[in-house]
Amino acid sequence: MNETLVLILLVLIVGCGLGSAMFRSMLHSAVSLALLSATLAIVMMMMGATWAGLFELSVCAGLVTVIFVSAISLTQPIRRHPEHSEDHHRRFMALPFILIVVGVAMIATVLLGHFAVNPVLQPETAETAATFKEVFWGSRQADILGQIIVILAGAFAVVILFKEGSEA
Amino acid sequence: MSASMYLIYSFLGLPLIIVLALTLAAKKPADRLCIYAGYLAAIVQMIAAAAIFAALLAAGVESLTFSQFWDMSVSDSAAYLSLDAFSLVAIFCVGLVSLVSLITAQSTMGEKKLNFTNVLMMLMLGMNGIAMAADLFTLYVFLEVTGITSFVLIAIFHDIRGLEGSFKYLVMSAIASAFILAGLAFLFMEFGGLGFDTVAAAIGAWQEAANPTLLIVAFVLLASGFLIKSGIAPFHGWLPDAYQSAPDAVSVVLGGIVTKMAGTYALIRLLSELLTDIAPLTQACVILALGSILFGAVAAVRQSDFKRILAYSSISQIGYILLGAVCASPLGYIGAILHFFNHATFKTTLFVNAAAVHEQTGTTDIEELGGLQKQMPVTGVTSVIAFLSTAGIPPLAGFWSKLIIIIAAWQALGAFAGALALFASIFTAAYFLRLQSKVFFGLLREGLEEVREAVLGLKIAEILLTAITVGFGIAFPLALRFMQAQGWL
Amino acid sequence: MSVFNIAVIIAALMLIFIGLFMLVRTNNLIRVIIAIEVVMKAITLLLIFAGYMNGQMALAQSFVITMIVVEVVVAVVAAGVALSIYRRNNDTDIRKLNKLNG
Repeated sequence: MNETLVLILLVLIVGCGLGSAMFRSMLHSAVSLALLSATLAIVMMMMGATWAGLFELSVCAGLVTVIFVSAISLTQPIRRHPEHSEDHHRRFMALPFILIVVGVAMIATVLLGHFAVNPVLQPETAETAATFKEVFWGSRQADILGQIIVILAGAFAVVILFKEGSEA
Repeated sequence: MSASMYLIYSFLGLPLIIVLALTLAAKKPADRLCIYAGYLAAIVQMIAAAAIFAALLAAGVESLTFSQFWDMSVSDSAAYLSLDAFSLVAIFCVGLVSLVSLITAQSTMGEKKLNFTNVLMMLMLGMNGIAMAADLFTLYVFLEVTGITSFVLIAIFHDIRGLEGSFKYLVMSAIASAFILAGLAFLFMEFGGLGFDTVAAAIGAWQEAANPTLLIVAFVLLASGFLIKSGIAPFHGWLPDAYQSAPDAVSVVLGGIVTKMAGTYALIRLLSELLTDIAPLTQACVILALGSILFGAVAAVRQSDFKRILAYSSISQIGYILLGAVCASPLGYIGAILHFFNHATFKTTLFVNAAAVHEQTGTTDIEELGGLQKQMPVTGVTSVIAFLSTAGIPPLAGFWSKLIIIIAAWQALGAFAGALALFASIFTAAYFLRLQSKVFFGLLREGLEEVREAVLGLKIAEILLTAITVGFGIAFPLALRFMQAQGWL
Repeated sequence: MSVFNIAVIIAALMLIFIGLFMLVRTNNLIRVIIAIEVVMKAITLLLIFAGYMNGQMALAQSFVITMIVVEVVVAVVAAGVALSIYRRNNDTDIRKLNKLNG
């Protein structure tokens, strides 16, 4: 893994996060979030999480963006609210500076505290060697059941919140 | 033993089957039968929990573990679900409160009954999953199931108050989940797994782990996440709004069990099984528990909405449960479990009473109510009994569990904590006396002459729950002797 | 290389900070949901990094996939509630949410 490249991508990720907070247009914020997801997916793949990276790319960068864009287009009236965007600008103007201060503070803490993040050495066992499919389907069944229920609940939520809401 | 193994399918399978059957069935019969199907699931769950409890006692085993769904008897290294006495008590409470909530829904939900039943079944699944989880990540997944279904239930009527309460709950819950997950990520990094057994085995030597600083961060994040979810005092902002804005049948299940399962149950598991030796964390929890007990009681005195008073009372009572759990003694643990059960019964009674008053008068604002005792005798009397149990008046069930917690706190944390907890009980009596006198006692307020007693279903629910409170209170010495015989105390 | 490890954690923490800042400062319902998503992204990064550090990437991927599913459903439900609020209030301003007394 090319660590320098990952570091550059991480800077890009934080930049996208900052963008999604700062942009006055909500559409730009949503696109910035999608970009964040996509960059994150690349980082995940570089760290070796191929499946999760694919999921992140298709579901988070794709599906979630669709949800946001439709929600924004449904809630934003055609005419612009200048005072709204001015207000937003004022509220978030300080964020980059605060973020720089926070970042410097964190780095200072790390340097002063001789803080290091050490890799955790694990003995090579059957569990560490198992492939993703074995782990996911073999030993995470309770999670899969939970996922099924979550998706079902989401389906009911859509029925209750969207369909019946438009009738009322 | 083997037969009761299969009963656990009823906890995770039966509600799912009912949801699927109701969804696939034709609309008319499903509309008519949905509540009864829900009753079936809730009653089967209560019976199965009791049966497994008996089987556990008979076999003398402490807990059952499961790993694979198609072969429950296999319990190899990867066990992600387990059942012990506390989870069975919790599952029994889930069944009981869901049953009562369904009874309430029958007369208050109108045409939303089918959707309500479906989502409530999934909420039950989520809470059963929390009770059975033996892995921190599984616990998180079921926490989210519980959360998502609760948001939907609160907003089920599309009224602006419900939507607002739902959105506030959603945001707070998302923050809590983020904290919990960040904590889990650090724990996972250090221990290479999130099973309770893995974490419990590694936690003793956490100071020798590769990155102890990250572990401290993880503990703080995990604890604060669960504290937000249980609505302990500085993190309680969403709780009264969610309770007040929810439809009646939903606030029964929310106030009766959901916050306790999603927050308190998980917190007790965490504190008593995994993070037992982390002293600063325990001390912080003691302070928060005491603060919550006092704050909830004081704030409840100033409220003017029936359900809001109950919500602040919940904050205070959850403080007691947490106080019992952080005593780190068997007595405190037992007290916490008993108070968990008692709180589920008497708080559910009170929410059913609120539902009955709301249904008959159309309001829950106590300033607009008064003198309902004559009109609604059953509701009035059951509510007095539930209040007395909350305030800890002997011989009701609430007295015993509170007594045990206060004794445990006195022993483990010193006289100050015990005395403070005792003192807050007086406030409990104060706010409930105020509520009771405004709603039920005194002269009948004008315009309420036409009010009648609640419908039969609600009356049955009130009487059933009150019978449990009184019966458990009177039979408590027997239960105590039984627990001593089991060696739990 | 320890600098790299620390950099990943600092990046994730900064992302969480951005998300929480946005959550507190914004007035818009949809932006609140975007803020929650930003925080969740940071946690995805942390989980994958944890798997990278302890060599259990398979387990970490299982966690992340489950988490992504949950996260999407939460986003859908939140968007549904926000849209319903918009239908009632004709506004997505969070300051208009004051119907509950307290």
